Amino acid sequence: MQTAVVILLDGLAYGMVLFIISVGLTVTMGLMRVVNLAHGAFAMAGGYVAAVLVAAGMPFFAALVVGTVAAGLLGGLSEITIFRPLYRKGELAQVLMTFGMVFVTIAGLTFFFGTDIKRLPVPDYLGGLVDIGFRTYPAYRLFLIAVGALLAIGLWYLIEGSLYGARLRAAVDNPRMARAVGIDVNRLFTITFVGGCALAGFGGIIGADMLPLEPFYALRYLVPFLVIVAVGGHGSFKGSFVAAITLGLIDTAGKFLVPSIAPYLFFGLVFVLLLLRPHGLWPAKSAG
Amino acid sequence: MRKRLIGLSVAGVLLAMTGAAAAETVKVGVLGVFSGGFARWGAQFQQAITVYQKHNGDSVKGNKIEIVYRDVGGPDPAKARQMAEELILREKVQFLAGFAFTPNALAVADLITEAKVPTVIFNAATSVIPRRSPMFVRVSFTLAQDTLPLAQWAAKNKIKKVVSVVSDYAPGHDGEATFVRVFKEAGGEILDAVRIPLSTTDFAPFFERILQQKPDAIFLFGPGGPSSVGMVNMWAQRLKPAGIQLLTTNETQEIDLSKIGPAALGSIGSSHYTETIDTPLNKKMRGDLEAMFGRDTVPDTASVSAYDGMHMIYQVVEKLGPRPNPDEAMKLMSNMKFDSPRGPVQIDPATRDIIQNVYLRRVVDNGGRLQNRNFETVPMVKDPWKEWNPEKK
Amino acid sequence: MKPLGTPTLADDRVSPLWHAMPWLLALAFYFMGAGYHSLGTNILVYILLTLSLDLALGYAGIITLGHAAFFGFGAYTAALFALHVYSEPVTGLIVATVVTGIFAALTGMLILHTQGVTLLMLTLAISILLAEWANRAHGITGGEDGLRVTMGYVLGLFRFDLWGRVAYLYALAVLFVWFLAAWSIVHSPFGRSLDGIRQNPARMRAVGTPVWWRLVAIYAISGAMAGTAGALSAQTTRFVGLNTLHVLISGIAVVMLVLGGTKRLYGAFIGATIYVVVQDVAAKVNPFYWMFVIGGLLMATVMFLEGGLMEVLDIARRRFRQLFARSRA
Repeated sequence: MQTAVVILLDGLAYGMVLFIISVGLTVTMGLMRVVNLAHGAFAMAGGYVAAVLVAAGMPFFAALVVGTVAAGLLGGLSEITIFRPLYRKGELAQVLMTFGMVFVTIAGLTFFFGTDIKRLPVPDYLGGLVDIGFRTYPAYRLFLIAVGALLAIGLWYLIEGSLYGARLRAAVDNPRMARAVGIDVNRLFTITFVGGCALAGFGGIIGADMLPLEPFYALRYLVPFLVIVAVGGHGSFKGSFVAAITLGLIDTAGKFLVPSIAPYLFFGLVFVLLLLRPHGLWPAKSAG
Repeated sequence: MRKRLIGLSVAGVLLAMTGAAAAETVKVGVLGVFSGGFARWGAQFQQAITVYQKHNGDSVKGNKIEIVYRDVGGPDPAKARQMAEELILREKVQFLAGFAFTPNALAVADLITEAKVPTVIFNAATSVIPRRSPMFVRVSFTLAQDTLPLAQWAAKNKIKKVVSVVSDYAPGHDGEATFVRVFKEAGGEILDAVRIPLSTTDFAPFFERILQQKPDAIFLFGPGGPSSVGMVNMWAQRLKPAGIQLLTTNETQEIDLSKIGPAALGSIGSSHYTETIDTPLNKKMRGDLEAMFGRDTVPDTASVSAYDGMHMIYQVVEKLGPRPNPDEAMKLMSNMKFDSPRGPVQIDPATRDIIQNVYLRRVVDNGGRLQNRNFETVPMVKDPWKEWNPEKK
Repeated sequence: MKPLGTPTLADDRVSPLWHAMPWLLALAFYFMGAGYHSLGTNILVYILLTLSLDLALGYAGIITLGHAAFFGFGAYTAALFALHVYSEPVTGLIVATVVTGIFAALTGMLILHTQGVTLLMLTLAISILLAEWANRAHGITGGEDGLRVTMGYVLGLFRFDLWGRVAYLYALAVLFVWFLAAWSIVHSPFGRSLDGIRQNPARMRAVGTPVWWRLVAIYAISGAMAGTAGALSAQTTRFVGLNTLHVLISGIAVVMLVLGGTKRLYGAFIGATIYVVVQDVAAKVNPFYWMFVIGGLLMATVMFLEGGLMEVLDIARRRFRQLFARSRA
């Protein structure tokens, strides 16, 4: 029983990291219908910025803020220069362009930082073990779960409960109509894209312990990120949350219970889920 | 006319006798990885070769030793073969060297046999490689060689129950096979042998499971880089507090140690090369590497192997000239015995593989800097795999 | 008059000279490229792979990052066939092609009812699952260490020589055969219907085209072709490793295709050659730069040259013809 709790916590923590990084992608892919294979690059950017700052002496949480903002700004810049022309060009062009971006990012980071892992140590008070009653458990993972939950609640409120969220949902459901009612869809897109990239950066920073920062990060974790989006359903924030947590839990539990099938578990599951639900668990509604 | 002929012949004989044939360039083709995720291997080769040439000059008896580098980008047998062909046919190299990865070495085996090009392996560590071609000689190490003393030491030092944890790929399986066999032979008990997929990012569930099994220690083998860092960190988080010892071979090699951080403290490793080895050659090599390439270069097993590999090639040119007969060159190299920065080394003429000391070491904090410190030396270890798997004649 | 830069589905108004050129160049290379034949063979293998991807992705619009599965499947099948059954290369090649085609057909039937990112993910999932299995089944596949293969004489007559010359001609011949096949497919009514399917599947269904069956068919053919490429790679290097199944191969194939130009069969030739050469050259200059250059080229191509580098060639050819016509008048 106690082990079950530990595994639950492990899986939750893993799922939360995936969620935090992927949720930005879900929204942009669902909202702007842009395939962004370079999403991991924004997570990476935030991570590297924070790592450099922490190494230079900045406290962790300050670096966290700066890194997140940096990722967001980078996202805004990319949206204006690279992504806007891509909207019309179709899915394939977007896949290719963002794939090229990934290559360029990897090369650039290798040039500046070398190929080894860039350490991003968490502050000492988070790095230790916490007594959860029947044994000790890494404080950092509990922190991740807490942050993920708070973020989920915050985003849910933002999207379901606020005016911005209402406008966003309107723009997703029917962009033409939204424009007709006076919603500045372009500006909404840009703001959302910036937000999505900032979220990615945030996830990259706090997740750096579990997903270590190195130049191939964007390529290495590309598949899990895309999987969350595909399984959860484009544009569905709820879907990506459920997908991330579910996949995280099942993957973790599977590795614990039957390590020999671990490699097949994740992708086998993805395969089955996508076949059963090609549009994702919670497909976004879209008018033609 | 006759006089001139005699004169020329005499001159020719004299020249041949002095051995001072026109100075020729000896080309050494080095196949390494200089791009992509494994670029550090290539960098280590290149830096060590440069330092060796600084110590020993870039020519032997007037013959210039020219190094031709080629990048294979990673484990890519087709490319390795293509580059080896180019080097042999186009660049006309006298020697091939390098090879960080086993598949790349295996892919060129029949090529070097047919073309008769002596090939010195600077890294690839799977035991079987030298058997695949009589032109292979290895100056790096084998996994089995590094693992054997560790298992024996563990069995003698109050470690009774071990869980073996390896990355799920061929070198990992080899490490597991060696450790399990030796440990059992020495009287220990293997509770479980776990194989972790290479693509794993979160190691928590695997280590949680090990915790439940309550071993005295775990034997860990990973591919280096992010996976190894992750696994050692996970050990520190979950298993170290429960008193479970970490036994590794090269996981804590210096190049990864700073990435792992204090989590590695207290772990026990075995390797043929430790940064703190106290030989004058090691001090000199490391000093020059730092001076020439900066504080961040971390000389490691690949560096010392490249350094020694160059030594062997230089010896061949010294003794046999710039265009040595390949079979004679191989014979010479297969019988070499010399001092390396890592200690005394010897090539086993029967297997063309290296015999060397293996050092047992602990990770300690040396005034804020993490270091591997040797506490026991196991002298002149042969590759056990070859004894367990005799060649069928 | 078609506006400048529109990729033509069929190079109808191209004179036979332009068609013959790539083949003549390839033959010339055979005679002049001593010491580089292995590089040449690798290029030919990649051209074949890129060509296969052009059929599936360029013409039929199936967005896939899973072609490495077919490349590797073909490679291992050919190797295992040579090791355990019969080592004559052409036989092994045919077997590998057919078996990979069947594999492609089966997986295609499973996933081709989906589209877009979902389809992309499914192709990736299959590719990754296959790679994982190959790693574990190291008793069969040799795992990380790979499989060494000794090949028999081609058609019982020609030995794969040390210099790789026979291998080069062998690869060239195979490429030629597949090229002819691809050409006929693309110019057939079946091929033209693919164009329609790519642009508007719903409309195609409305006119009664069996869309799903056509997609499966082209996917199977494309897979078989990629399998041939893999088999060629295995036979000519006499070695197979796990890297043939790696996702990176799929990605590189996409890059080569886009660089050269989709829906232009010769685009594969240009794209593959440029990629391999750039990588080779750039790696010698500075190993880190090739990723930068390729990534940059990719981005530039998407941004400015939708037709890939074939478009540049088109423009050049038109100018040349105009010049020629003017000088005649």
